[in-house]
Amino acid sequence: MSDTPMVQRLRITFGKQGGLKYTSNLDLAKVWERVLRRAQLPILYTQGFNARPRLQIAIALPLGITSECELLDVALRERIDIDGLAERIMSTSPEGLYVYDIEEVAIHGNALEREVESAEYRITFVDEVDQKDLQKRVSEMLAQDRIMKIEYNRRGKKTAYDLRPLIHDMQVNEEGQLHIHVATGTRGNVRPDMLLAELGYDDAFVHVHRTQLHIRD
Amino acid sequence: MQPEVLERQLERVLLKVDKPGRYVGGEWNSVTKNWNDIDLKVALAFPDIYDLGMSNLGIMLLYNQINQQADMLAERVFSPWADMEDQMRQHNIPLYSLESKHAIRDFDLLGISLPYEQLYTNVLNLIYLAGMPIRSLERDSSYPLIIAGGHACYNPEPMHAFIDAFVIGEGEEIIVEVAQLVQRMRGASREEQLREVAKIQGMYVPRFYDVSYHDDGTIEAIMPNIEGIPQRVLKRVVTTLPKPFTKFIVPNIDTVHNRAPIEIMRGCTRGCRFCHAGMVTRPVRERPVEEVMTSIAEIVKNTGFEEISLLSLSSSDYVYVHELTQRIQDEYKEAGLTMSLPSLRIETASSELLDRIGDTRRSGFTFAPEAATERMRDIINKSVSDEQVLQTARDVYSRGWRTIKFYFMIGHPEETLEDVQAIINLCKAVLKEGRRLLGMKANVNVGVSTFIPKPHTPFQWVAQDTGDQILAKQKMLKEQIRQERGMHLRWTDLSSSNFEGFLTRGDRRMANVVERAWELGCKFDAWNDLHYHDRWLQAFADNGLEPDFYNHRTRGLDEVFPWEHIDVAVHKKFLKEDYLMSLNRETRVDCRDRCFACGILPKFTKLRQGTDDMAWECPPIKPISERGKSSERTPNVTLLN
Repeated sequence: MSDTPMVQRLRITFGKQGGLKYTSNLDLAKVWERVLRRAQLPILYTQGFNARPRLQIAIALPLGITSECELLDVALRERIDIDGLAERIMSTSPEGLYVYDIEEVAIHGNALEREVESAEYRITFVDEVDQKDLQKRVSEMLAQDRIMKIEYNRRGKKTAYDLRPLIHDMQVNEEGQLHIHVATGTRGNVRPDMLLAELGYDDAFVHVHRTQLHIRD
Repeated sequence: MQPEVLERQLERVLLKVDKPGRYVGGEWNSVTKNWNDIDLKVALAFPDIYDLGMSNLGIMLLYNQINQQADMLAERVFSPWADMEDQMRQHNIPLYSLESKHAIRDFDLLGISLPYEQLYTNVLNLIYLAGMPIRSLERDSSYPLIIAGGHACYNPEPMHAFIDAFVIGEGEEIIVEVAQLVQRMRGASREEQLREVAKIQGMYVPRFYDVSYHDDGTIEAIMPNIEGIPQRVLKRVVTTLPKPFTKFIVPNIDTVHNRAPIEIMRGCTRGCRFCHAGMVTRPVRERPVEEVMTSIAEIVKNTGFEEISLLSLSSSDYVYVHELTQRIQDEYKEAGLTMSLPSLRIETASSELLDRIGDTRRSGFTFAPEAATERMRDIINKSVSDEQVLQTARDVYSRGWRTIKFYFMIGHPEETLEDVQAIINLCKAVLKEGRRLLGMKANVNVGVSTFIPKPHTPFQWVAQDTGDQILAKQKMLKEQIRQERGMHLRWTDLSSSNFEGFLTRGDRRMANVVERAWELGCKFDAWNDLHYHDRWLQAFADNGLEPDFYNHRTRGLDEVFPWEHIDVAVHKKFLKEDYLMSLNRETRVDCRDRCFACGILPKFTKLRQGTDDMAWECPPIKPISERGKSSERTPNVTLLN
């Protein structure tokens, strides 16, 4: 394959809903690849033995979580008009995939994954939980100075870290939903299920929805 | 259970199971019609997990055929993996369809794909999870009519007790006919419905046939027990291949063959004596190149798949293979589309062909010489010379591909240890070529499976090798191949080949064994680590039957087979002749070069006459007035190429 340069980089804001929440991040990349091929976008492929389309999803969404704020960067080998492009891509997307916005970004920007700093989630308890108790647990956790945790890396090596500074905010709203704002990305990552476990809701049946991703300006 | 309730229940369990994306549907190109607006509902099942079932072309073709009917819908169902089955049982979730999440029990027709015998216990499990009695006779017409089709159904007898009716042959047309019949006969008793089903050409309804046995356990006769149905059920064929299906469902999770298949040819003209598919899928029909090209364009547009697989039993024998692969390469190379061409024959896999289909993702090529001595190759009627094998190896290695994979079989009729030694020697010679061209990077992967005599083939009479014979041969292979650097050996477990053996040539009495094995917990028998052979042996013992009777017994030339009433249009006389030829080391050439009158033409004379000359590889049939006197023409000879 010839050495074609990237001429345009698009950032797609998309949602992942319904049954698609059971598609892993790796498989979602494949889903995207095919959506874009059906939409006949001039995707740029990587060089080398295993040519892959140059797509980049900002940050993995854990299995089972829905979202309205995912980001995908797409490298193109030809310039295209972004007017009406969102509709075109939507029309080739499977159930549960929604395109909200498409913007052009600088070709030589940082890798999207390194840009993500934090994420907000809305957690809905499907079965009734004691609201006062929930409020109390949240307040108590926020009142702590340090929450030391132990983590094992891939090689099984233990490291200790403080969870507290990674939690930016937690609030319970009037409908009893828990909103959290936590560090996400390569420099500290808090998963909603981990925070729920920390709060003592390991077994609660919840719907988790990512509402916002914060990236560095 | 209503779909909304079922979906809420699913939400609670899906995050507790592995790969939950298997159980939710919603994929691109899946079809969900409005349940209440549709009269006739068909559930199509592949009795293994989603990951495998989604790669099954047959299911997709039928899905399309039914969904094209305005008053019908088809939805999919697969076997839940053990973790999901546990969750479904715990939460009282019945087996449901992926599209609308309706219970399978609420469909009018359940069509089950049965391409191979190892799926039998999964079929029972599916019926059970759907909340239905396992046995056909215990289900009245309030239950969906259960039909099955696929290659394993050419001997339907081991499953006769569980399936209401079998599709013998190609299902594209017949599925709609059966669905229409169910629609027409709604409210009739199951017995009445099945009497009509049995009259459709190609449908076999086991309850209307009686089997009597001799004292030694062999079959005396198989006779219809009602009027108006055929003594032998002739398989159904389509005269020309239906236009390829191009709106494949695109999975949202990774599956086994995550690509779009196009069937370029059905059937095979080679006549390898061990090959079930080669005998039962006759006549050979090829798809015109133009039609393949148009379909590829549609597939790319409709699915976005990055790989097209050109399917047939012997792809490199497809007459237009060079033209087709060249055109695909020319038109799609820049678009990042790759093609795969499974089932290459050594003698027709030319170096140009290797160049075109060898893409960057591929590490090597696979060939199936099956045997390594001239004597053995004559017996099985698959003639490839050592020199052809070595030349192909040179072609592959010299183009920089490091790995050649060979499929051989052990346990062929009349095989000796010298024939097995020859496999080892040939592989070593190939590796030597590889070393010469690529150095230590060259690999030879050797897959050695165990030959299992199949119904409707010239070897249906022969005894399968005993355990001792197979173990001795495998020991020899392991000792000499595994210690060699650059060579990797894979073989088939003895228990799994014995298992396939007794199911494939089983009779009606095997149904009790299948049911007992399932009761003892057998399912997913196709998964080596989940096949519990001792339970099967227990199931045999509980029914007073012997596996050896089915596996290691040479049948008498005139024995009535359990599949005698299933007519694949190849004469038993032809098969017998071919079997006797094998004992004398006599071979038959490719039937494109010479018609051996296997039986297809006399059985399907009318179909052939109504078909374009070039559409079948069988010679065209001339009207009697145009035929010369028998002395003036060469009997049965037609040269097409």
